[in-house]
Amino acid sequence: MKKIIALVMALMMALSCFAVASAEEATSIAVCLASEPDTLDPALNSAVDGATMLAHLFSGLATWGQDADGKLVIVPECATELTAPVFNDDGSATYTYTLVDGLTWSDGKALVASDFVYAWKRAASTALGADYGYMFEVIKGYPDNLAVEATDDKTIVVTLANNVNYWNELLAFPTYFPVREDVVASEAWATEAATYVCNGPYTMSSWTHNSVITLAKNPNYFKADSVTMDTIECYLSDDANNMLANYKNGNWLLIDDVPTSEIATLKKDYPTEFVVAGQIGTYYVCWNVNQNLLPADSTLTGVEAEVANAEIRNALSLLLDRNYIVEEIGQAGQVPASSFVAMGLTDADGSEFYKNTGVSDAFVGYYDVSVDAYMTNWEAAIETLKKYYTFDEATYMFTNVPTMEYLYNTSDGHKAIGEYIQSALAGVGINMTLTNQEWNTFLNTRKNGDYYVARNGWLADYNDPICFLDMWTSASGNNDVQYGKGAHTELKMYDLDLTAYGLDVKVEDGTWAETYDVLIAAIKSCTDNTARYGMMHIAEDMLMATGCITPLYFYTDIYMIDDSVQGFFSNPLGYKYFMNTTVAK
Amino acid sequence: MSSKMMFYILKRVLLALMTIWIVITVTFFVMHAVPGNPFAGEKALTAEAQAALEAKYGLDKPLFQQYTTYLTDIVTRFDFGPSMTQRGRMVIDVIMDGMKTSAKLGLIAACSAALLGITLGAVAALRRNSILDKVIMVITTAFVSMPSFIMGSFLLIIFSVKLGWLPANGTTAQGLVLPVITLMLYPMAYITRLTRSSMLDVLGQDYIRTARAKGVSGKKIIFGHALKNSLIPVITYFGPMLAFIVTGSMVVENIFAVPGVGRAFISSITNRDYTMILGTTIFLASLIVIMNLVSDLLYKVVDPRIEFD
Repeated sequence: MKKIIALVMALMMALSCFAVASAEEATSIAVCLASEPDTLDPALNSAVDGATMLAHLFSGLATWGQDADGKLVIVPECATELTAPVFNDDGSATYTYTLVDGLTWSDGKALVASDFVYAWKRAASTALGADYGYMFEVIKGYPDNLAVEATDDKTIVVTLANNVNYWNELLAFPTYFPVREDVVASEAWATEAATYVCNGPYTMSSWTHNSVITLAKNPNYFKADSVTMDTIECYLSDDANNMLANYKNGNWLLIDDVPTSEIATLKKDYPTEFVVAGQIGTYYVCWNVNQNLLPADSTLTGVEAEVANAEIRNALSLLLDRNYIVEEIGQAGQVPASSFVAMGLTDADGSEFYKNTGVSDAFVGYYDVSVDAYMTNWEAAIETLKKYYTFDEATYMFTNVPTMEYLYNTSDGHKAIGEYIQSALAGVGINMTLTNQEWNTFLNTRKNGDYYVARNGWLADYNDPICFLDMWTSASGNNDVQYGKGAHTELKMYDLDLTAYGLDVKVEDGTWAETYDVLIAAIKSCTDNTARYGMMHIAEDMLMATGCITPLYFYTDIYMIDDSVQGFFSNPLGYKYFMNTTVAK
Repeated sequence: MSSKMMFYILKRVLLALMTIWIVITVTFFVMHAVPGNPFAGEKALTAEAQAALEAKYGLDKPLFQQYTTYLTDIVTRFDFGPSMTQRGRMVIDVIMDGMKTSAKLGLIAACSAALLGITLGAVAALRRNSILDKVIMVITTAFVSMPSFIMGSFLLIIFSVKLGWLPANGTTAQGLVLPVITLMLYPMAYITRLTRSSMLDVLGQDYIRTARAKGVSGKKIIFGHALKNSLIPVITYFGPMLAFIVTGSMVVENIFAVPGVGRAFISSITNRDYTMILGTTIFLASLIVIMNLVSDLLYKVVDPRIEFD
């Protein structure tokens, strides 16, 4: 027996030797954002975790920073200043930027203006097929003939088809980061540390695939003195439980994901470390515009049927208790949504766009989503639905609503929301079946319009409502609702009047293509900011009137960060910044 | 090596190649029949960009032509092509990267499982019906019935989160301790039970009794006769087990964030990374086929009575 005890003790001692040193050195920080990024080529990346790493590896003409009050601002980076545009006769806007002195690549070669020009043209090109190629849409000549040139080694001249408010923000976006032609000639350049050449605060010192990417302070960075953190270790894991285990045992000081089931406990146990940050995005339900919701014996067809369907969809939307969804299911500080353009996007005057939307002064958005309003909404919805369906007053149930199928991609969170919607509708006799599909199949089904009702979500890429609106044009690849497609193509039922904005556009009873598509085109070519935002409100009004978009909540970004980390910040797109952090030992 | 054995090996290798060819063919066509594509995302590409990418990876060609091109590239140049979602990386590199870890993990787990399993099984058989035997049987029953994701999470919580002795991610050498134990427990328990019952069977054979009657020492009976002969079922199990551990450790890799080949396999399917799906499938199928062949050949070494036909 003694021998066994001795053996066990010896084993425990041996195991304890493996124990990891408890505290991180103040000169390095270990974090986990997500699993292995598909790419760290700034032009090809479209993931938030990839963007965070790229923001440390590269410097664009501008960058996100904090002012003295800690407020997030876009500040010049490689450009000496973020200049005002010169307006041309055709309404286009030309910007001229001068690069700061002493810019070099991480391999020591000088960085010149033509590197930016090359990078932008490459990222926008059809041939590259980058997910974010469309971020260059605002530049004249997009996609394959961008109006950008280097007049000398230090000057970049770029012409925008029309000026946009978010241009400076685009300059800080990873797709706009510079790359050097000879470096990216081999597509494999961005897959390992040895061939990775960048110009930002950090260089990639190692990349052990699926394991860890280590970023080390770049001595060639022109503002190297301002970087306080020497090394950032980005561990790669796609399992939220694993991330949490590593966070709890002190190995990782920031994790960008937590298991949904743990949220309530974490909020309680880590009140200062569990962070809920704003994120510009909307979680919503989308209805296929070509699916008929009317009872089988309805005689309505064509435009009349669609008018009725729109009214029904809007009524069904009122049956949902968004406060229940965010508090009992989401549990991460999400905000109940009553409009599609997300919270966090600004209007022409700098106020919040979503607060200026809607149909009433009594509440924000297209319907009142306050806790108190739920019963009123519910009763109004029942009254509307009674116009189209048989209602049994005894049971308080509708008896002839066709069965609907709700499609979602496999995930516990989406499932829980689907089940809630199902039960909310079942309460008034409406049957909804739930179907889940694996992510890639789901995307395909939804895009092709082979569904009845589906979950959906959209995150902004930059601070402009247009990124929530231009996706609904007939030809857009993201038009999941199928506006202007199939039977909806022919329906002449929409009005558009832009004469108040000095445009010769007045359509009555037009198709979706004749109205919404025209409106989006007008917004994109509009040079007057106030008019532009005014028209964007009209676009959202049009969308919401169709009832095909049922917003549920505005997204939040949840992450955990150890109390010992100082100087950290994140931006509304969810990018995390570690260059100015310090870690208390 | 006898010519009979040579012929047997040749036959098995040809069969193996045929199996792999069938695996490739079925995977290829099933994979393309599933909806979705490698370039799909929440935000759709423009039609032009989608077309440019399809042309770049040859997805614009007729399906059968894609199939023949793929097969030709593998047979003539051993070229599995580039990954379609991890731009710039070759499929073979991704697999080899993952294999470095998966193989290390699998080999350590398999060897520990075999060593411990055989020892415990033999001890249990020799001490049949003793307390020790019963304890070993109860523990192994528990390990055989407990799925690896439960065992993994359990070990993770105890040794990593509560005690903080071992890291929770398998990126370092220490980090592999917990995944190895998790992976090892099931096969170890299985081998223990296999060895025990096989050994009990052998110990009851006439030749053991004869050996005892002739006064052969206990040690020699156990190691020279009983153990060796009771290992045949263990060897049958060992080959496929090794392949299973190396290829089937996806759950464990996920729990402990181990950068193995299993993760590449799973994510390739989710991403519709066609070349990667095929590459990993071929690789894993080959591994299983080879392991089966090796374990068949090992029979002969252990039991010369076995004839190849």
